[in-house]
Amino acid sequence: MNNHFAEQPVDIVMIEDDEGHARLIEKNIRRAGVNNRIIPFTNGTEAVDFLFGPDSTGMVNKGRPLLILLDLNLPDMTGVDILGRVKRNEHLKRIPVVVLTTTDDAVEIQRCYDLGCNVYITKPVDYENFANAIRQLGLFFSVIQVPSPN
Amino acid sequence: MPPSRFRAGSPLQPLLLAAGFLLLIGISAATLWLVDRSAADARMVAHTLQVQDKLSNLLLSVRRAESSQRGYLFVDNESYLTEYNEARPEAERQLQELREITQDNPARQRTLERVGETMAAKFAEMDRTIALSRAGQREEARSLVLSDVGRDLMTSLRTQIEQTITNENALFEQRSEQSRRNGWLLVLLCLAGAVLVALIGGLSVLLMQRNVRAREAARQELAVTNANLERIVEYRTADLTEANEEIQRFAYIVSHDLRSPLVNIMGFTAELEALRKDLFAQVESLSGQASAAAADTSDETALERLGKDFDEAIGFIKTSIGKMDRLINAVLKLSREGRRQFHPERIDMNEMLTSIVRSVAHRAAELGATVTVAGLPPVESDRLAIEQVFSNLIDNALKYGRPGVPGQVEIAGRSTPAHVVYDVRDNGRGIDPQDHQRVFELFRRSGPQDRPGEGIGLAHVRALVRRLGGTMSLTSELGRGAVFTVTLPRRWSGETRSAETRSAA
Repeated sequence: MNNHFAEQPVDIVMIEDDEGHARLIEKNIRRAGVNNRIIPFTNGTEAVDFLFGPDSTGMVNKGRPLLILLDLNLPDMTGVDILGRVKRNEHLKRIPVVVLTTTDDAVEIQRCYDLGCNVYITKPVDYENFANAIRQLGLFFSVIQVPSPN
Repeated sequence: MPPSRFRAGSPLQPLLLAAGFLLLIGISAATLWLVDRSAADARMVAHTLQVQDKLSNLLLSVRRAESSQRGYLFVDNESYLTEYNEARPEAERQLQELREITQDNPARQRTLERVGETMAAKFAEMDRTIALSRAGQREEARSLVLSDVGRDLMTSLRTQIEQTITNENALFEQRSEQSRRNGWLLVLLCLAGAVLVALIGGLSVLLMQRNVRAREAARQELAVTNANLERIVEYRTADLTEANEEIQRFAYIVSHDLRSPLVNIMGFTAELEALRKDLFAQVESLSGQASAAAADTSDETALERLGKDFDEAIGFIKTSIGKMDRLINAVLKLSREGRRQFHPERIDMNEMLTSIVRSVAHRAAELGATVTVAGLPPVESDRLAIEQVFSNLIDNALKYGRPGVPGQVEIAGRSTPAHVVYDVRDNGRGIDPQDHQRVFELFRRSGPQDRPGEGIGLAHVRALVRRLGGTMSLTSELGRGAVFTVTLPRRWSGETRSAETRSAA
């Protein structure tokens, strides 16, 4: 990603309540050669505070290249709520959101895409596949185009 | 509602009815008899009158003959005898008639005999006087008349006839009396019958009303009981449905949430494995430097031993994780199956089973087993579910063969009015009867654990069959093969059994 946005590198906002998962995700993304900054959050409230800022308008992140990696099962709120709020926000709606979760319920997947989720990935259960998937996601990140700030 | 009231009421009613009918028949018969008797009485009365009438006529005829004879004797003119000549046969004819109509009465016959004799004597006397007169012997004739023989005979005849008439009168009185009595009896009988019939009718109506009331009460009670029962069933069903949904949710959440930590365990185990390489390489290079000085190989073997222990530990962790992963997946799969919506369609079972058999043909050939499918009735059900059920059963039948015995798997079917029944029969190692329930439970298996498997297949099969509104049963003995029988409704509709579990999905 740094190739595409050298002047302003993309930051990855990782909202994942399981710290182990977060760590494994980070390791495997790094292994794919993605060196962008990862900003981790283990609960929804902190993530929302960061994304929408103290005034809850999202102005604070206007024009900032971000990518959100979102788990749906959070302790304090569901990831679906965060997804909905981001996609309804004037300033944040173009941020690509990758849902990375264990839920593979068809209804849930549909709902996420309806709300504007860009990619929905089910975490594979066994670790080999999981690591593989995250590495591929990392490769995907290295070619993905994030909308330009202006 | 005490049922004894039914028992008391019901046999009495036909009894009353029978009694009523019997009474009616009796009254009718008695009436008929009495009417007949009345008619007979009337006939007898008429008869008596006729006899009396004829007797009077007879006496009159004899008197006519006598007066005619006297006239002749007096005037000696033949023309006076005309009356005599007419009256005589008349009297004889009348006597004959009387004899005929009183044939049934011997006493009367005897009386008539005497009357006949007296009459004949009288006529003989009269004939003689007439003959004497004709012969010109008028004096002799006169003296014969004066001898009072004729008069005595006449008096005797009259007395006899009058006596008989009197007798007949008595008889007449007697018969009239009897006729009257019979009439009364008839009236009385009719009245009594009417009263009795009315009584029985009233009693019947009363009993019927009581019965109707009792039945109505019973019906109401039954309705109340039914309503209660339905309510109870409803509650229970709701409870069960709720419990079932709870279990489904629980299974889903448990299996789902257990996967998360498992990924960590697996992930960091893999990390540890990766670390091991670096770690041991590091240790090796360090000990390599040390051994260069000491020229001792014992350290290296110690290091190898450490490496082996490390690998063993990691190996156990990985195997256990793998197993846990499979179990959790099985639970997840079962809970997901429990929530999948069924789409019933008509299934040609022969076609489906043949295709399943084709898919296992390679394995069957390796095992030297034969699988046969014979005339299976079609069913209307969910295709995927049915396919899973029979794939699992055939898979099991092939899997648990007896060593040294070529496997034989037979799939047969039959249909009953509401159900279709399929048997999957094998000649494998069989299942101990005490394990017949256990084999259908999740993660439970039977017999020697020498085949791969998690104890999921039959649990899954039974869950599916139950959701399809059917039942599963097993007949088997150790070493004698097994028969799994699947009974399914001919048509699956959402109504059967677990429509509720679908709505929980």
